[in-house]
Amino acid sequence: MLKWMLAAGAAALAITAPVAAQKGHGGGKEHGQQAQGQKGGGAKAERGNRGGGNDKAMRGPQRVERQKVVQRDDRRGQGQMRAKSDNRGRGNAKADRGGPDRVMVRDDRGRDTRVVRFDRRDDDFHFVPRWNDRGLVRGFVDGCPPGLAKKGTGCMPPGLAKKVVGTALPAALVGNMLAGPYRSWYRDNDDYFYRWDDDYIYRVRRDGGLIDALFPYANRDYYYYPVGMSYPLDYNYYNVPYQYQSFYPDGGDYWYRYGDGAIYQVNPSNGLISGISALLTGNPFAVGQPLPVGYGMYNVPFAYRDRYYDTPDAWYRYNDGYIYRVDPTTQLITAVIDALV
Amino acid sequence: MSLNKLTIAAAMAATLALGACNQKGGDTAPKSEAAKDAAGDATIAAGLGDATKFAAAAKSTGLDATLAGPGPYTVLVPTDAAFDKLPAGALDTLMKDEGRQELTGILTYHILPGAILADDIGKAIDAGKGKALLATMAGGTLTATKEGDAIVISDGAGTKAKILGSDEKRSNGVIHRIDAVMMPS
Repeated sequence: MLKWMLAAGAAALAITAPVAAQKGHGGGKEHGQQAQGQKGGGAKAERGNRGGGNDKAMRGPQRVERQKVVQRDDRRGQGQMRAKSDNRGRGNAKADRGGPDRVMVRDDRGRDTRVVRFDRRDDDFHFVPRWNDRGLVRGFVDGCPPGLAKKGTGCMPPGLAKKVVGTALPAALVGNMLAGPYRSWYRDNDDYFYRWDDDYIYRVRRDGGLIDALFPYANRDYYYYPVGMSYPLDYNYYNVPYQYQSFYPDGGDYWYRYGDGAIYQVNPSNGLISGISALLTGNPFAVGQPLPVGYGMYNVPFAYRDRYYDTPDAWYRYNDGYIYRVDPTTQLITAVIDALV
Repeated sequence: MSLNKLTIAAAMAATLALGACNQKGGDTAPKSEAAKDAAGDATIAAGLGDATKFAAAAKSTGLDATLAGPGPYTVLVPTDAAFDKLPAGALDTLMKDEGRQELTGILTYHILPGAILADDIGKAIDAGKGKALLATMAGGTLTATKEGDAIVISDGAGTKAKILGSDEKRSNGVIHRIDAVMMPS
């Protein structure tokens, strides 16, 4: 019963939440005790790093019916996200009154409201990061500005993630097979299977049926963990997508962790992110879905161009380790036809 | 062509076979090492050349590892002169620790998935009756148009950058040099 909604027409990139950069900032002193391999858990993190929240801001106008777009940025946690216009004297919260083309859009569960901008040029929604004299403003969660959160002061309440690991998968999720691009990124096998809910992908060990790992799966636009900060302990599990596992295996000199559109290289001795090994778009490529916005140009890697080239009957597009065939007329993805392994 | 179909079928069979063996990477040297050796000096990271400010920014954000990895990516690399056009002090601020997150978002706005040649962009612009949208790693899109023969890229704020020179094919993608920095807006 999965709310992975896709655009009827405009497909793609759209609604994202201006969630702050608080993710992954806590627990800066508590690492190095992580077990290697898949059970990165056992975290002592008091500070979960939860993104998202429930924005109680006012409901937007007429754009609500255009709700059915990809929730690329759908990170909900325990925190409360204040309305962007709420400046509680924190000194650096910026009111976002927006312009005439900025709306608050509420999703169909009525839980979340996001600030989006309706781009009249191409009938699409865009996340609206703003540039001010301090830099790129992403908005705040619980009023925590990014700088404060980075110091690990636990601006967000402790996460519940660690409490979930080791428990049984809730019955309601048993049928929630992965969909969209994640279906090919995280594949059920003899030892594990993957299920998801609105916030996380869960890896469940078949033997015993207990949750072995979890991690958030939605990407926040323009958001990356900065190099030098600690990878969030709550999600410290090997979660490199399948097609990249041979490049970034588990159990080597580095930990590799996927999050927010990047595969991060983490130093096991201190848990700090030392680099970004790969970038992924996380765009919703899947057979039967429309080609996402922004892939009108042929982009197949050179080694595959002699085999997969555009004709009036078939287009080929590369994304996140796979090549997809697209029907040019319907713009629907018709096949996943190769992987870069 | 039947030969082509056969090749595709073989590729699919091979892919399925690989899929079945889901190894967790351990006993042989990780592919990244072999790939790195093979790519060596031919990666995007190694080919930045005169774009010293972009290279420094990539290093600061850890994206130098990305651009040396398997990719493939298409990178719109602003020249040093392009960075000089930013407001005074902006780049310095971004290069600091507290600016790193923002800088990462800006740089990934210049990185596109796959290998895209100028010609590919041109065809998409023509098919789009004068405009094409380019998906970026950062999540937003850039807009491509033509001005004469030149391809012009615009960001959300309308800042325009021209693609200079010709395609620079690298082992893990393509570099296009541009004369302005694109900003998420």
